[in-house]
Amino acid sequence: MGKITIEPLTRLEGHGKVTIKLDDSGKPTDVKLHITALRGFEQFVIGRPAEEVPRIVPRICGICQTAHHLASVKAVDAAWGAQIPSAAEKQRELMHIGNMIHSHALHFYYLAAPDFVLGPDADPAIRNVIGVIDAAPEVAKKAIALRRVGQSMVEATGGKAIHPVTAIPGGLSKSLSEEKRDELLAEIDTMIQYGQDGLDLMKSLNEKYLDTINTLGVIDTWYLGLVKDGKHNFYGDTLRFVSPDGSEKIDFKPADYLDYLAEHVVEHNYVKYPYNKKVGYPEGLYRVGPLAMINACDSMPTPLAEEARKEFAETFGRPANQSIAYNQARLIELLSACERAKELLEDPEIVSTDVKAEVEPKAGNGVGVVYAPRGTLFHNYETDDNGIVTKANMIVATTHNVPTMEKAIQQAAEVLFKDN
Amino acid sequence: MADKVRLGLIQLCGCSGCHISLLDLHEQLLDVLPHLDIVYAPIIADAKEIPECDVFLIEGGVRNEHDEHLVHEIREKSKVVIAWGSCAVYGGIPGLGNLYSSEQLKETVYGTVTTDNIGELPSDEIVPPLTDSVMPVPSIVDVEYVIPGCAPKPALNAAAIVALLEGREPELPKKIVCDECPRTKENVIPEKFKRTFEGKPDPDKCLFEQGYTCAGMGTRAGCGALCPSAGVPCRGCYGKTDEVLDQGSSLANTYAAAGDESLKIADKSALFNRFTLPSALISKKQK
Ligand code: SF4
Ligand code: SF4
Ligand code: SF4
Repeated sequence: MGKITIEPLTRLEGHGKVTIKLDDSGKPTDVKLHITALRGFEQFVIGRPAEEVPRIVPRICGICQTAHHLASVKAVDAAWGAQIPSAAEKQRELMHIGNMIHSHALHFYYLAAPDFVLGPDADPAIRNVIGVIDAAPEVAKKAIALRRVGQSMVEATGGKAIHPVTAIPGGLSKSLSEEKRDELLAEIDTMIQYGQDGLDLMKSLNEKYLDTINTLGVIDTWYLGLVKDGKHNFYGDTLRFVSPDGSEKIDFKPADYLDYLAEHVVEHNYVKYPYNKKVGYPEGLYRVGPLAMINACDSMPTPLAEEARKEFAETFGRPANQSIAYNQARLIELLSACERAKELLEDPEIVSTDVKAEVEPKAGNGVGVVYAPRGTLFHNYETDDNGIVTKANMIVATTHNVPTMEKAIQQAAEVLFKDN
Repeated sequence: MADKVRLGLIQLCGCSGCHISLLDLHEQLLDVLPHLDIVYAPIIADAKEIPECDVFLIEGGVRNEHDEHLVHEIREKSKVVIAWGSCAVYGGIPGLGNLYSSEQLKETVYGTVTTDNIGELPSDEIVPPLTDSVMPVPSIVDVEYVIPGCAPKPALNAAAIVALLEGREPELPKKIVCDECPRTKENVIPEKFKRTFEGKPDPDKCLFEQGYTCAGMGTRAGCGALCPSAGVPCRGCYGKTDEVLDQGSSLANTYAAAGDESLKIADKSALFNRFTLPSALISKKQK
């Protein structure tokens, strides 16, 4: 019996390692994905004043920090019963969308594209974003511009591009200036165009790699997404589970998440394995992120992205269960985020200074959910009379996907080792 | 230094935000990257073995035995090691974990409301065991430079890289955040302290003087006073200046001027040493 260890897992945010056990005939028998880091945020936010927690938890992830900042402040708002002015909600949403644009551009162009643009067989030494810059400078320029505009949206609304600070219980500590709004508006049509160009690039690659996409990493799982009135939504409202064959949909509100989600501790991983509680463990394992979001929604809320979603469903089916189709789903979301940013920037309320309601700290329990760029994200805190955190639970985006990534790697290993 | 620097990048107990801040050079990347030969960087490239490097940027402190081992290996293989970002330099936010034992951390994480098999833990034989506490990189090996900030501003990263390329020592700002802050100070001591969500702060006046718990006077400059400019107090993410031994005590010194009122501030240890607990004078939970 042999064993293969792949470490470190690369072009992945965080720490991972894969071990594959092989039987005598070289067939993979046991594939494990190990996430090898633990920091313990759920412990060390306890005892902190709740308004400080949205300034602490962004450090869970430097790529989707804004999603943590916002899910966290939503949880505090909910625990304290705060009512947020509508202008503050819109400005927070813009902050979130900016993060989505930067992170999706990063993920596609910097992490995934090297495999497509340079080919999976390219020398590992050049199969990275620098290789892309050399091989396809036009593609690289668009990637850089999308990231820059996304990060400027976060900085303009959140105060800092990495680990924003302005979301406080009751709203925001500052409003978006007209000057910044105009700067962002001036670039947004170009970003929408770049979003479409990204999709065109992906579709041309599909023709080349469709066989691989339809054979590697294809697994049946549940999907968990976020919708509003059935439409795809980045910022919140209703969670939706979709069954592996698409026949069953279960909608629930963030505040009721304990009835629908549970997590299982496994011995080989610092990450717990979340699952659909109604279905049970391990049958109820699910995927989150762009593929799950596109599978879960009835439609996209913006016109160009909706066109792209229909085309996607025709190519990959509904629900699509090809792991590599995540890339195209991500680009549909990138386009939608750019379109949504334009809508928000054109709304006069986006520069309103009425962004903060009075709040009182109190004992309570609140749940905050947003769709982080890698999947739905949950923050749940309990506070005491002084608004100090006494209990916390977080289910972060990547966590949801770890068990199903493991399944996808198992499936891919079986396919790849079949001929050996 | 050679015209192409062989650069290694790694994330240990961090969040990848420092890596992202390097990418946040945006278009400037196209000027900087051609001078770098990125020979190791798990976040963006596929090399699996750590090679000999001219410069190695370490993001994040040490939280488990694997991290510790890597720091030693990097030291052996690199001419210049840089502790990059406040996690690497001081322990950063994950360093708040030092207020608890690692057993307690695990008990809480694997005992939350959604956990269905409370009592079971990941096996130390399979995942790398946690160290007793979070340790900053300079507490483990000698480093040539530190670049603080959570995350360090892109310009600070660029300045350090350019300095290294030109064979100079990178320089850090010597001043404090207050020196960069646009808010006006009248040298008054607050009578009472407020929490960030209380009231509406005057947009032009010093937050500390209005009673908000700002840490700008005990924090190294470099960010351009981002937080007070956005209406919230500084939380000290660039750590201490060269002048003092400990960020927490230097802040406590200023706050002491407000007398008993400052004693009423909630959660002082995680306020004054928010990003620096593992390198603070008193840093670790004693069993
Ligand atoms: S210093 Fe800040 S940005 Fe850098 S790794 Fe630590 S938490 Fe992330
Ligand atoms: S607001 Fe904070 S950083 Fe600005 S001057 Fe006052 S104490 Fe210093
Ligand atoms: S103002 Fe303080 S907390 Fe904010 S970025 Fe600057 S040093 Fe960090």
